[in-house]
Amino acid sequence: MEQPVTVAIIEDHPVVTEGVASWIRSDPGQRVLLVQSARDLTALRAGPQPSADVVILDLELSGEMVTAQIPELVAAGYRVVAFSGHNDPAVVMETLDNGAHAYLSKDEGRDHLVEAVLAAAADRPYVTRSQARAMLADQRPARPALSQQERQALLLWFQGMSKASVARRMAISENTVRQYISRARAKYAATGRTAPSKDALLARAIEDGVIKPGEISPYTSFARSAAENPSLGAPGQ
Amino acid sequence: MSAMQPTATMSGRYQRAFTVAVVFLVAGWHLAGGGGQLLDNRAAYGSFAFQGAMWLVMALAIAAGSVLVLRGAPSWRAAWTVALIALAASTAAAAASPAGQMLAVNWSWGSAGWIGVLVLLRRRFSELAWFLAAEALAILCVQAWDGLDRTDLAGFLALLAWSTGAQVAVAAGVRALDNAAGRAAAAARSENAARERAATAEIIQAARHARWLALQESAVPLIAELAAETADPGDAQVRNRCAVQAARLRRLLAEGDEVPGSLVHELHASADVAERRGVAVEIETAGLLPQVPSLARRVITDAAIAILTGARSQARITLAAVANGIAVSFVADTGAGVRLPAAAAGVAFEQQQDGGMIWAEARWNNR
Repeated sequence: MEQPVTVAIIEDHPVVTEGVASWIRSDPGQRVLLVQSARDLTALRAGPQPSADVVILDLELSGEMVTAQIPELVAAGYRVVAFSGHNDPAVVMETLDNGAHAYLSKDEGRDHLVEAVLAAAADRPYVTRSQARAMLADQRPARPALSQQERQALLLWFQGMSKASVARRMAISENTVRQYISRARAKYAATGRTAPSKDALLARAIEDGVIKPGEISPYTSFARSAAENPSLGAPGQ
Repeated sequence: MSAMQPTATMSGRYQRAFTVAVVFLVAGWHLAGGGGQLLDNRAAYGSFAFQGAMWLVMALAIAAGSVLVLRGAPSWRAAWTVALIALAASTAAAAASPAGQMLAVNWSWGSAGWIGVLVLLRRRFSELAWFLAAEALAILCVQAWDGLDRTDLAGFLALLAWSTGAQVAVAAGVRALDNAAGRAAAAARSENAARERAATAEIIQAARHARWLALQESAVPLIAELAAETADPGDAQVRNRCAVQAARLRRLLAEGDEVPGSLVHELHASADVAERRGVAVEIETAGLLPQVPSLARRVITDAAIAILTGARSQARITLAAVANGIAVSFVADTGAGVRLPAAAAGVAFEQQQDGGMIWAEARWNNR
């Protein structure tokens, strides 16, 4: 049997920590092992780092947003899965841009948490519905260009269909649906600020054949790319 | 605002007409009255050229005063400058007239007073009174200088009574007309407001009537059947009809609410009945949603009611901004397919059944 993925929870509400721990325990394969739980980031900084493969991070600790601390965690070698009641698309985008592997809203925890942690440990994309929503709503000038198919897969996934239903709707295989969604996520890893976690996600996506190196454009400002390639310039395309 | 402007300009238009009338009166007096007297007696003056020059100075004062008052209310300084120039010219002309024939040959008295009326028309009444008093004093001084001829003094007093009386009467008349115009404008304004209120009430009444008609077609027959016991509440189909009608009633109430994001609001209202039944309904939005017209909203919420009525335990409604419109989707465990409303008002439907789950999407296109 493979070594379980180790995880630390940073959460200021003990009842949530308890709930997350019980979800982890109820995984039939026992694929995740909870090794540390703390109420703030100082406890994590105290010991040798990284103390776990993945950190499940509540974005609001004692009333303060900690999205800006994600780069520090990523630099210390953690993979971050954000778990938050704030499902404002702008917060989701900032979290991903700062190098978090995945974002889960608190409603999505039960069904997705263990899978998101496992995907993060393997540097694979994991796109929750709230993440799909933020990608669909993204109007920032520096957003990556998503293909028609990628957008459609994200939209149907956000709408609440299962991946099998999305596949039937789009008349493609379920695997291709996963590929479209993962590719959209990988494109996000290639934009914005740089972070080792984003590089790792991207490298793994290339290795898995989710995305080809040619499909990743280095970051260019929206204005510049619009000037060079006017046909891609229209927002919402 | 929209009611204010026309009435304000209306009262302004009347005031302007009164001003123009006074301009014509003053210019006419100076030209025909003053000018006529000057020409008639041209042989009597020591220097006709000087009298003519003073006449011209006063004509220019009338021109300047007219421009000032037609442009709007003149400032204190501008009004009094014109008035005092006219007074000075008139006094100089009177002083240069031969004594003893003042009443016959002095053309300038009347004109100076009228110029005062023109420029001080819409200033405080006391200012005009001061000006007319100053004019009377100036003429009295000229007469005293000439040796207080008895005929002249008598003529002066008669003239004072006649011309000052006329000038004060005109100024008071314009003031009264201004007030009347203001009152008329205010009356028109309140009449406009009343008309707008009546129109609004009519629209509200029409909307209520439309809602009443909608209920007549749907909820009322059902209630009648229940009352007559021809519909059995134990029958699942009757319960289904009741749930649909209850949701429609909630939506009808929500349609009257003035809220931003009316569609989301009405979907929440449509979901209310299903939620009371224990169905967990999630409503989420993605992106900046366009405003959807009320007819299209009605079609979309009808679909929501149809699906939510069939949902057993869970439903997810999402609204996403898409190119040229909005995609509203429903995922619910209805068990079987749902009859959706016909495409209408720019809304088209698609649906797919996967096991016990239904997915349906309403797309409204703004083109």
